[in-house]
Amino acid sequence: MSRAPNPTRRSPRVYYIVFACALVFSAAEAPAQVELTVAPFMAKGPADAPVTIVDFSDYQ
Amino acid sequence: MKEYDGRIRLIFKDRPLAGHALARPAHEAARCAGAKGKYWEYHDLLFEAQPAFERADLLLYAGEVGLDRAEFARCLDERRFAADVEADVRQAVALGIMRTPTLLVNGRRIEGAPPLEEFRSIVEQALRERR
Repeated sequence: MSRAPNPTRRSPRVYYIVFACALVFSAAEAPAQVELTVAPFMAKGPADAPVTIVDFSDYQ
Repeated sequence: MKEYDGRIRLIFKDRPLAGHALARPAHEAARCAGAKGKYWEYHDLLFEAQPAFERADLLLYAGEVGLDRAEFARCLDERRFAADVEADVRQAVALGIMRTPTLLVNGRRIEGAPPLEEFRSIVEQALRERR
């Protein structure tokens, strides 16, 4: 079954988490908070692990 | 990072950079593999094979990890995961992530791949902070 790309589509395999990312762009800016989607097959390790590492990478 | 088994959750996010023409199909291909239970095997192959990411290469790697190549080709050609990769890119941009790799370790941002010892130290600190 084909699935046309649709930015608003949310796969049932995808759940949503919110990371309060303490990203200090400068001392004057507030930390950014961005909702990150996580495809379960792109995550490994226990969901309640004390440390979560989010790796933004480029294969090329 | 076997030594941290059970204490770390690793989440991979797609951040193909605009200047890398072959990156986006590779990220979509990895998700096609993931949908068939072969995400991490395919992911590792891509890093070993970079930057050989032409369509024929991506199909070859699918075969190497034991996927049905015809079915994989359909997933790739239909761009079934284009929206998901784009969603990751948008989230990265919203966070101001413009270079790769960028890691968030319990929210602490690390740009570039740190040496192993430095990375271990960052993880140990994050673990101590959670105790």
